[in-house]
Amino acid sequence: MDIKELLREVLLKDKTFIHLPFGDGKYDIYESVVVMWIIMAIILVVLLILTRDFKVHNISKRQAAIESFVVWIRKIIGGSLGEKGERYTDYIVSVLLFLGAANMIGLLGFIPPTMDINVTAALALMSITLVEVAAIREKGPVGWLKGFAKPMAIVLPMNIMELAIRPLSLCMRLFGNIIGATVIMELIKMVLPVVLPVPFCLYFDIFDGLIQAYVFVFLTSLYINEAVE
Amino acid sequence: MLEFSLVNIICVIVNLLILYLIFKKFLFERVDKVLMQRKEEVDEATRAADIATQKALDTKKEYEEKIALADEEKEQILADIKKQGYDEYERIVNDAKKKGEQIITEAKHNAEVENERAKEIYAAQLTDMVIDAASKIAATKHSTQDDRELYDKFINEA
Repeated sequence: MDIKELLREVLLKDKTFIHLPFGDGKYDIYESVVVMWIIMAIILVVLLILTRDFKVHNISKRQAAIESFVVWIRKIIGGSLGEKGERYTDYIVSVLLFLGAANMIGLLGFIPPTMDINVTAALALMSITLVEVAAIREKGPVGWLKGFAKPMAIVLPMNIMELAIRPLSLCMRLFGNIIGATVIMELIKMVLPVVLPVPFCLYFDIFDGLIQAYVFVFLTSLYINEAVE
Repeated sequence: MLEFSLVNIICVIVNLLILYLIFKKFLFERVDKVLMQRKEEVDEATRAADIATQKALDTKKEYEEKIALADEEKEQILADIKKQGYDEYERIVNDAKKKGEQIITEAKHNAEVENERAKEIYAAQLTDMVIDAASKIAATKHSTQDDRELYDKFINEA
């Protein structure tokens, strides 16, 4: 199998998972959505196990760990969101945890949903919606519209373009990184299927996945922080 | 992998919202509840501690006032006692003075009486001597010489 075939297989593979009998494939549910359901189910179960019987006193180590984790991650995300954007912390943390899980789901043998551009596009759409909603809530519709002409009227087209560029870059960055990692992993497996993939797998599936999740979330919170300033 | 599918994007968005609700309900709300309860308890404890401290301070103040009152009372009593002591002292000293004066007066009186008596005795002796001298003079033949001797003798004897 040469590289061309490999790329074709990775990039153009039929990703339909549930084929609906109507609409001529237009309403097919992709594998990424199904994997996302699996991730959601895993997260739900893990959360239910981790957060059961929380107490105020005499807490278990598990509860202490969960509490300090939540406080810690909220501090990090809330710090980059700024004071005014702090109310969006919980959504951002949710996205971060989901992306972390999604990028690492490859460890369990699933195809990461973030390898599907539809998922990253949806995430980016949510992010940009949140950014603009935050701006409108903070400044009012008029103030939001006026914000496009700041600091000077000449930057107006750029700011309008940014509305499209930001989500596009978010979406493509995440998608490209994950698919790139997968392609490289496939290539490494072609070179030597034993031993060699282990450190790279550790890097691409765990480290890189977490970094990309953090980058996505960090940029989103940065945009929100900028929007509400 | 590269074509967009609106249905799937919507599915993912719905999934994300559900996921957010899952996180909110089963992670953040539970953690927040515990944290809030703990915070309330801490606040409650702090308030109780503040009240207790205030109470203790009030009691301390009260006792300090009481002690100050006691001090005053003590001073008063001490002053009273001192005054009494002074009065007593004065009285005793006065008594002693009076007694002393009386004794002195009596002594003076006694001395005068004694003096008078001594004078009387002297006078009597003098009279006797004069009579004696006169009788001696009368009994002896006398010249100027004798008279002089006699006078000298008399004066010497006197």
